[in-house]
Order: sequence, then C-alpha cells, then structure tokens
Amino acid sequence: MELAEEGVPPVINLTEVAEREKEEFEEKVSKLIIEFGAENLMACMQCGACASICPLARTGFEWYNKKLIKAILVGMREELLDDMTPWACVACNRCTEICPRNVTPFEVMLAMRRLMVEDFALPTLTIEGLRSLYEHGHAVYMTGREARKKVGLPEKPPTTDSDEKALQELKTILKNTKLAELGLIPMG
Amino acid sequence: MVSEAMVSEAETVNENEEKKLKFGLFLGCNITFNRPDVEQAMRKIFPALGVELDDLAGQSCCPTWGTMPSIDDVGWCAVAARNLCLGEEKGIDLMTACNTCYASLNEARHKMLKNPEIMNGVNEILAKIGKKYEGKAKCRHVAWVLYKDIGLEKIRESIKYTLDGLTIAVQPGCHFLWPSEVYPDKEKDPFNPVVLRELCEALGAEAPYYTKLIDCCGIGALRSTDPEKSFALAKDKLECIKEELDADLIVAGCSSCTIQFDDVQEKLRKEGKINFSIPVLHYVQLLAICMGFDPQQVAGVCVTPRDEIIKRILEGGKR
Repeated sequence: MELAEEGVPPVINLTEVAEREKEEFEEKVSKLIIEFGAENLMACMQCGACASICPLARTGFEWYNKKLIKAILVGMREELLDDMTPWACVACNRCTEICPRNVTPFEVMLAMRRLMVEDFALPTLTIEGLRSLYEHGHAVYMTGREARKKVGLPEKPPTTDSDEKALQELKTILKNTKLAELGLIPMG
Repeated sequence: MVSEAMVSEAETVNENEEKKLKFGLFLGCNITFNRPDVEQAMRKIFPALGVELDDLAGQSCCPTWGTMPSIDDVGWCAVAARNLCLGEEKGIDLMTACNTCYASLNEARHKMLKNPEIMNGVNEILAKIGKKYEGKAKCRHVAWVLYKDIGLEKIRESIKYTLDGLTIAVQPGCHFLWPSEVYPDKEKDPFNPVVLRELCEALGAEAPYYTKLIDCCGIGALRSTDPEKSFALAKDKLECIKEELDADLIVAGCSSCTIQFDDVQEKLRKEGKINFSIPVLHYVQLLAICMGFDPQQVAGVCVTPRDEIIKRILEGGKR
C-alpha cells in the first residue's frame, strides 16, 4: 500500500467509491434495457398507471411493470435475474396503451427478458418453445393429429409441418439471428 | 423514424382493387394443433360469405412472445416478415383468428415500418432465402374482416339459425385491442370494445357489457409460468360472467382465450371451485353453427360441453 506522509495510509472514502460504482452500474443496466428495445425508459415518472391495469400486478407477481422499471432505474440487477416475472408477462400491452409518457412498459418487460437470456436466466419451457420453433416451425407443436382428423381436416396442415423447403427457409432465417449467437438450442 | 404517411401509404394491398375479397389464412400453432375446429370453421364460413382463402403454404409460427420476441427485434421481425411475405407475394393480406398471431405480426410490421434499421436487418436475412418484405401485407383479424369487409347485414342474411333469447358474454381478448397503434383496425375506444358485441347481436343474441369484459383470460406466458395465478384470474372473470350476465355462452375473438375458458372451467369444476358450466366458442365457430355447418366439424373439440347449447341453437333458433 502506498503510504502518505509519515507512514499514514491515505484515506479511502468508501462512500464515494460505492456511489461511483453505483452510478456506473445504474447506467449499465438502464443502458442495456434501452439498447434491448425500451427506448423511452427514462421518461417513466412512476405514476403507476401501468400497474393499475397489469394482470401480473393483479395476480401478485413480484416485479410487475412499474416496480420493474423502478428497480432498473435504481440499478438493481441480481435480484431481477432471480425472478421469473418478466417470463409471465402476457404481452397484453394494456400498459403501453395507457402510459401517459410513452414508456411502453411492455418493451421494458421484453428488454428484461432479452437481458436475462444473455445470462441464461430463462425458463425451460421457453427453451423448449425455441427448440420446437426451430425443429418444426411451430412453438406449440403436437404430433397427435386425432383432433384434425375428427373435424375433417388433413392430418398435415399447410405449414412448415408439411413443407420441408419452407422449414429449411425458416431454419436459415433463425441461423442468421441473435438466437444462433446465444447458443441456447442446438441448430444443426 | 419514418413518417405516418409512409405507414399509411404502405397500408394495404387489398383496398386498391375492386375485386373479390381474398385473404391468406394464417393458422398459427394453437388453432392448427389444439383447436382445428376453429380452422375448419374459417374454411367453411369465409367461402360461403364470398371470401376466397389462400393456404399460405409453408407458413410457420407467427412467432409467439416466448420465442424470437424475447431474443431481439430483428429476429422477431424476420420470422414475422417471412410469413407476411407469403401474402405479399400474392398481393393479399393475411387473416387470423388467433390474437397472438394478430399482435405479433402487426407489432413486427409496425417496428419494421417505423425503424429502417430493423427493416434493413430483416431484409438482409430474408435475402438469404430469396425474399424481400416491402411492408405492404399486414395481418387482419377475422372479427374485423367480418365486421368491416363483409358487414353485419350480410352476416344477418347468411344465417339459418338465430340466437334469439340467448345471452352472450363476449371475450375480445387483449391482442384484439392493445397497443391500438399497431393494428390495422381499431375500436373507437380500445378500453370499451363493441365490435364483438355487435357481431354477436347480428346473430340475434344479447351481448351486454359486463365489468370484466376487457380482462385478460390468463393464458400464455402467465399460465406456463404460474398456473395457479392464471386460473385465479380466469376464475374471477368467469364468476363475473355468471353473476352479472348469467350468460348462456362465452364467445371469444381469440383462439387462446377460447382454449383457456374452456379448459379452466373443467379444472375449476373438478376442484369444486365453481359450480357452473358455460360453453365457450370462438366467434367463427358460432357463426359457422348459425350458418348451418356441421357442429362436429366446426365446433367438435372442447372440454366444457357444448352439446346442449348447440342443440338449443339448432332446435330453437330456426329462421
């Protein structure tokens, strides 16, 4: 350690260091959320209009729109990564419709998912959905075709399910997106 | 940012020409595999109403929220644009009975038209499969096509059975309404929707307002993340429908809402949490039944029984 005059160690102001790190950290989380699509994040004035009509807030999820935005604005990160609230968002966009500041709180939810994806903090079902999209062209896919037969439809729908060329097109598209960079699913 | 004028310039591919209505039938995943009776209903009613359908061969998932939208905008829009291209290449718009498909495709289109960076990124990817999206083709909602393009009068004329004396609780569904900015058709007040109510009234039923009319059904990400919370939300709405309207029927504009209210009622009944049973239909199924198509084909897949209400319609409502 570098000694100051007469062997007295320099005073490190821990409060200042903490403040500085906090500021950098805050900037980082908010910046990422903005980069991931929530362009108007900083316009939020915490009025709570979004929370008043959010199905997640109503059913008791921890980090519903208003609270998530507040947490992001104060720079929280680890606590948010441990919570699956953003993955429960039904994307209903009531919040977007009602927000008086054009914050598009749904885009904040979605940006939070995108941030979580980079940390592999996503539900297994989501990975399964992505895998199914890549393998079959359908996020929801069923091999059983009794229902189709019962109502008088061909077993094979006119989708990627019955069209190999179309499925290959979709795979080519997906291989050229960020999904491939993330390596969340095998994309052979 | 691109101006609104550009958005409206690219608005439509159908409206310029005075020809027979034609749409690409966009199925999505849930209708295709879970509720093909909804697909069959669309395949019956639209040609009978003079609308030609194209299969959009090779269509895929829209993509739904938990997939590419949760990764990034360009990937989301690229998958959506490939689907939209299938219509655009034929000069037609898409049409869907699934609110998620309606929202994902139109939100993606809105992003592409608003942000040239996204549009360019998408077209760079599409070039690899020899496609290009111009922003023309959009996705229409079946309820809006019936309401606006076909019209209530023609619907009234087309039915063989009326619903006189029946009370319907309508369920427009979230993605029929919000964010209104991205949709090709908009309710005058997106928090007090009337289109689905008027469509039901055209069949002779009452379709009154009730206090939870615009509430979420709770399916999708909410149900896959926390089923109990999802069922609680659905239960609140079902009880409201029972208490305020004592409805004979729940009619949804969305295939996912249809699945949720159909499935959840049976579950809640088995658990002793509700003691009533209200049949659930998608509007296209109800219309198909009223037009005289085979209920087994157009409404043959359900958990909450529909037999009684269908019998009542067929026996009691002959014109």
